[in-house]
Amino acid sequence: MAEVSGGKVARLAVLFERYHRPLFRYFVSMNGNREQAEDLVQEVFFRMLRYRTSYDPAQSFTAWMYQIARNAGVDQVRKRGTAQVVDIDTFVDRRAELVSASPGPEESASRVQDLALLRRAMDQLPEDKREILVLSRFQGMKHEDIAEVLGCEVGTVKVRVYRAIRALEQIYFTLEKEKAS
Amino acid sequence: MTCEEAKTRMTDYWSRTLGEAGETEFNAHLASCEACQSEVSRVGALWQGLDLLPLEEPSGKVRDRFYEMLGAYRQGLAAAEAPPAKRWWSMPAWQLAAAAGLVAVGLGIGYGVRGNGQPPAEVSQLREEVANMRQLVALSLMQQQSASDRLRGVSWAYRAEPSDREVLGALVSAVNHDANVNVRLAAVDALRRFSASPETSRAALQSLSKQTTPIVQAALIDLLVELKDPEAAPELRRLSGSETANEGVRQKAQWALERLQ
Repeated sequence: MAEVSGGKVARLAVLFERYHRPLFRYFVSMNGNREQAEDLVQEVFFRMLRYRTSYDPAQSFTAWMYQIARNAGVDQVRKRGTAQVVDIDTFVDRRAELVSASPGPEESASRVQDLALLRRAMDQLPEDKREILVLSRFQGMKHEDIAEVLGCEVGTVKVRVYRAIRALEQIYFTLEKEKAS
Repeated sequence: MTCEEAKTRMTDYWSRTLGEAGETEFNAHLASCEACQSEVSRVGALWQGLDLLPLEEPSGKVRDRFYEMLGAYRQGLAAAEAPPAKRWWSMPAWQLAAAAGLVAVGLGIGYGVRGNGQPPAEVSQLREEVANMRQLVALSLMQQQSASDRLRGVSWAYRAEPSDREVLGALVSAVNHDANVNVRLAAVDALRRFSASPETSRAALQSLSKQTTPIVQAALIDLLVELKDPEAAPELRRLSGSETANEGVRQKAQWALERLQ
């Protein structure tokens, strides 16, 4: 990014190839809408170009990028209203394709159900908890970088990640009980 | 370690980022606290389970739109860096004088360029940047997992400089190793862009001896005929007489031998 900031804007292609997928997954996890997630990925890279001179090479690039991503996400929600949630049937269908290589049909089916439940639990998590879990678990970000993105202390991040996974656990088991009853 | 402290370290424990000393301390706490032990095992399963959620993949449109946007941005940047227009230029007398001046300057530059054979430094730099970008896109795409992305990478190779050895190398590697036959075929076609390089002919010949897919073999034979490489004759002769080669390939090799004589 330092090179892009210095005027070699073509080097943004390297960053795009490296980060567009994680960014896309972040947005899909947050708003459940693939089309909007793709728009947002585009918006993030555009903002990187526009604000490239504000990038400080001493700062973590990942943290800077997710700060931009969060702002872009907030702006889009403001523009469009509330966020949408992924259609569960589409989700289950997609999962079924992806686990088709697993050993037995029963295990496969059960895993699909578990994953669908887990995904539903994720979607039902309050947005702040879902976000911190996505950043820490799916984006593989260090606590230090998350702290920079969210503007809080590293210790606070650790506590919030823990609370988020506990909240996910509660929702997951509630959904599981509902399914069983 | 208290239970409260243990709770804030659980995610690090599951992610194996506590470090050796941290992990030892954490395990010591677990050994003495059943409640934490049960929580680590129960919630930990969920934490690990998140790994099983399949990863979403963006469509290819994202990449197309990005490179369009980047290209447009760079054009805009170049235009913005040009000197601003001034109102007095629109006056006919000034226009005439400016035109005459431009002709003179143009002649001067033309003479200068012809004299030392070098374009102005800014033009060279811009040209180099564009070439770098095209190379970057082609190379990046050719390394992707999806065959359609790699095909797009091959099509970007046409925009690379004919002297670009890195792109040539990536194409040769695609011809020799890509698992998808369409990518291999497209890469053979794209090698024509680099026909001026002696490496192209050499690589096509080496690849012909390795290929087993008839359609790719035929495409390579066509390329070798176009490149008029006499060194291809022994390999073509071997192919035309090979009992294991496909009948169509044998005929094609015979045809190529006649063309090269």
